[in-house]
Amino acid sequence: MKVKVATKILEANDRIALENRRVFDHAGLFVINLMSGPGAGKTSLLERTLAGRKDLRIGVIEGDIAGSDDAERIEKFGAPVVQINTGGACHLDANMISDVLGDLPLDEIDLLFIENVGNLVCPAEFKVGEDMKVMLLSIAEGHDKPLKYPLMFQESSALVLNKTDLAPYTDVDIGKIRKDALSLNPGLKIFEVSCRTGEGIPEWIDWLRTQKKNG
Amino acid sequence: MHEASIAASLLEIVSGQCRKSGCSRIESIHLKIGRASGIMTDALIFAFDAMKEGSPAKGAVLEIEEVPVSGHCDECNNTFTTEQEYILSCPCCGGSSFRMTAGRELDVIDMEVS
Repeated sequence: MKVKVATKILEANDRIALENRRVFDHAGLFVINLMSGPGAGKTSLLERTLAGRKDLRIGVIEGDIAGSDDAERIEKFGAPVVQINTGGACHLDANMISDVLGDLPLDEIDLLFIENVGNLVCPAEFKVGEDMKVMLLSIAEGHDKPLKYPLMFQESSALVLNKTDLAPYTDVDIGKIRKDALSLNPGLKIFEVSCRTGEGIPEWIDWLRTQKKNG
Repeated sequence: MHEASIAASLLEIVSGQCRKSGCSRIESIHLKIGRASGIMTDALIFAFDAMKEGSPAKGAVLEIEEVPVSGHCDECNNTFTTEQEYILSCPCCGGSSFRMTAGRELDVIDMEVS
């Protein structure tokens, strides 16, 4: 006997993501799912963002396979932070986020960053309830990345190119990263920053403020 | 890379649907997987076969229909289907004002139960 199923395999995750989203909307929160490969500088970008946040109230959920190093770095800035250890999983999913929502003072935050597990592949597939996906790529990773990992570039609303201070020491073609990323996603907003020197960070934070207002 | 979690969700969906229809065994499952979904079908089958023991799907085979990438270009107003996994420009006019209309599917269509 044939039985109709007609279900998206990720439907259960999407449903929980939608519930998370409702909780965020109710609290008036703008939520960014921050994704990159390992070592691109997600936590460094958050540190810079927290240092320049002024009146912007920011909270952070840290996702890592193991350890609490990142949460400790965020805590130093006096921001509410929760660490999730995925215990091996290559990405955060909606259920992991749902489990920790009670540990954050959602009503006292304007902007919540969910720092995903360092991985250029899987995090792009799983909604966690975010308003927007933002990806980070350090230029030292090479200009071939947009065409090698197209999904993440397609799913993101903004791309932050980090470690621009290393440009003189590499052969990377930043123009090619921009061109290929925009081919994959014509609406992509691109920032060039150096978390080491602080260059480009004010533009990034200004943009975050406008997103929060729009959201 | 996360085919195992996809396989676990799939197993949950089909086992639930099988029980709901009052049956105990799933013979085959028909899936549609888009070529741009990022899922490797071999890895999905491997993970599913490893997990299905002890479930109503223990004897089930996955029948996977690959869906090619299709799109529509607003610039030249053409609808196209391509053999490529990802498209960087409209295959008709070379412009960038295209939308993908298919190719990201990860859907369970139906299944044969007894």
